Amino acid sequence: MSRIALDAVRKRFGETTALDGVDLEAREGELLVVVGPSGCGKSTLLRCVAGLEAVDEGTIRIGERDVTRLRPAARNVSMVFQSYALFPHLTVRENIAFGLVVREEPKQVVRERVAEASELVGVVDFLERRPYELSGGERQRVALARALVRRPDAFLLDEPLSNLDAGTRVEMRTELRRLHREIGATMVHVTHDQVEALTLGDRIAVLDAGRVRQVGTPDEVYGRPRDRFVAGFLGTPAMNFLTPDAARRFYEIPEGTVLGIRPEHVRIDPGGVPARVDLVEVAGSDAYVHLDRGLVARVPADSRPAEGGGVGAGFDRKAAHLFDEATGERREWT
Amino acid sequence: MNERRQVALMLAPYVFGLVALVALPALVTFGLAFTEYDLLRSPEFNGLDNFRELWDDEIFGIALKNSLVFAAVAVPLRLGAALGLALLLHRRFTGVGAYRSSAALPTVIPDIAYGLVWLWLFNPLYGPINLLLRWQGDSPTTTAWGVQPPQWLTHPNDARAAIIIMSLFTIGEGFVILLVTRQGLPSELYDLAALEDATAWGIFRRVTLPLMAPILLLLLARDTIFSLQWTFVPALVVTEGGPPEFSTTYVPLFVYRNAFEFLRYGYASAATLLMFVLTALIVWLQWRIVRRWRKGFAI
Repeated sequence: MSRIALDAVRKRFGETTALDGVDLEAREGELLVVVGPSGCGKSTLLRCVAGLEAVDEGTIRIGERDVTRLRPAARNVSMVFQSYALFPHLTVRENIAFGLVVREEPKQVVRERVAEASELVGVVDFLERRPYELSGGERQRVALARALVRRPDAFLLDEPLSNLDAGTRVEMRTELRRLHREIGATMVHVTHDQVEALTLGDRIAVLDAGRVRQVGTPDEVYGRPRDRFVAGFLGTPAMNFLTPDAARRFYEIPEGTVLGIRPEHVRIDPGGVPARVDLVEVAGSDAYVHLDRGLVARVPADSRPAEGGGVGAGFDRKAAHLFDEATGERREWT
Repeated sequence: MNERRQVALMLAPYVFGLVALVALPALVTFGLAFTEYDLLRSPEFNGLDNFRELWDDEIFGIALKNSLVFAAVAVPLRLGAALGLALLLHRRFTGVGAYRSSAALPTVIPDIAYGLVWLWLFNPLYGPINLLLRWQGDSPTTTAWGVQPPQWLTHPNDARAAIIIMSLFTIGEGFVILLVTRQGLPSELYDLAALEDATAWGIFRRVTLPLMAPILLLLLARDTIFSLQWTFVPALVVTEGGPPEFSTTYVPLFVYRNAFEFLRYGYASAATLLMFVLTALIVWLQWRIVRRWRKGFAI
């Protein structure tokens, strides 16, 4: 297994800059999740690492090798696609074996590796079926087995869970995590789903408009977002942002800054600043309380206030973040 | 109005056309196959006489053989050419539109005009094809590599080859269908093949061909039917069924001559019926052979 390192990688499609000087490293044996909104360049990043797109500038290393100009097959990476990319005319066994057969590995080796990989992802029972006879989750397992079978230096996963229904997605997320622990491979996982990123990654890279905004453990990027974009992108509901005027009722903040407070840190208590409840959304055990002060609070559903009522709202200064109003960069409390 | 009636109503014009213009004439033709009919007197039932005569008719034998040989040679070549062009031209690049149009264009030229153009192209003396072949030849009648150029319209085998060559440029429909099919194949499968180090030939053999196979098989059946009929205009306009005699007489021309030149409607109908049965048989056989194979391609 090898680390993957991108150094000042740029990629343009005509007038559009997809990657704007990306520096990023996936450490050896690490599951790095690249997360960002649609069109932020995350899939392009993965395709550049795979060699399916040529970069305009910068270098890409896998292990100690500079692979920037190597053809895809010479980079020894496996890729898993959102659409599974299974061959409809081949059985599950033949699909898994595809890479080995194309490389003309001996039949004995093919048999052993296919058995090993299908055991690992749990597709042993339907090796003779064809893709159209499988569910989405089963198809993605087959795609994973096909990626495993070649023992690549690294795995690239391009939104592998996005086509699955909610239940299967959670199940496959756990499965991916288990698989990663078992084989200890370097994996780069691309997703637009921040929950997936936070639960799955050893580290997370947040990408926006072709730039890496922050890289860190899930705790770091969630707890100490480096800028307003990262703060707003991660977390459901999104972080509340208060201008100095709106924030003044709670705390004084410097001019030219914005205060950010996560909904779960907003308390509803009678001693707080008076506010009216506009709307209450119940999401299972939690309730999202929309207050008239442009503030959303996440509270346990069983202690939620009634809509239209008056409440008090407050939060700890320690839990609040400060961001520069112009640049969006994180500022520290003074 | 319920849905069944709506569907029936919408289908009605088509069904009417099909019945009036295809099914009824076909039935009449099949009926006439068992009669002696010259358009002047009423048809006279004569049982299987026409078929017995066809069996002994040397010219029908030649026409049938010509037709089958033509289909056997032209269909694979036509499909191969359409597939090759589709694979060459499915990507976007500068001028690809012009290339695609020129690949599709000959198909929309009226048959007669198309035949007349080839009559000029194939002219052994001043036709551009032989002028080109004789270019830089040692003498005015030989090619640069010292042989006589083909005598397109006067030598039997060369004439048959000429008709096949003509058929290779009317592949527009197959080309368009295969182009769209290729464009519809998921690009991830090709990304994957690239990551797995498949060669161009490997990708063609293991990805493109199997994925396009269902459409290719459909086109195979369609083109077989088409090829058994397509020879009519070229044989009539370009070679007139010769040379010297009957070497490019195919079943459609045989039917035409018997019906409209010799006024032997019953006899021509019998030949038509035979051709119909034979075509159906060939297509059915093709279908049988590929049916099991095809099952795997369902997506």
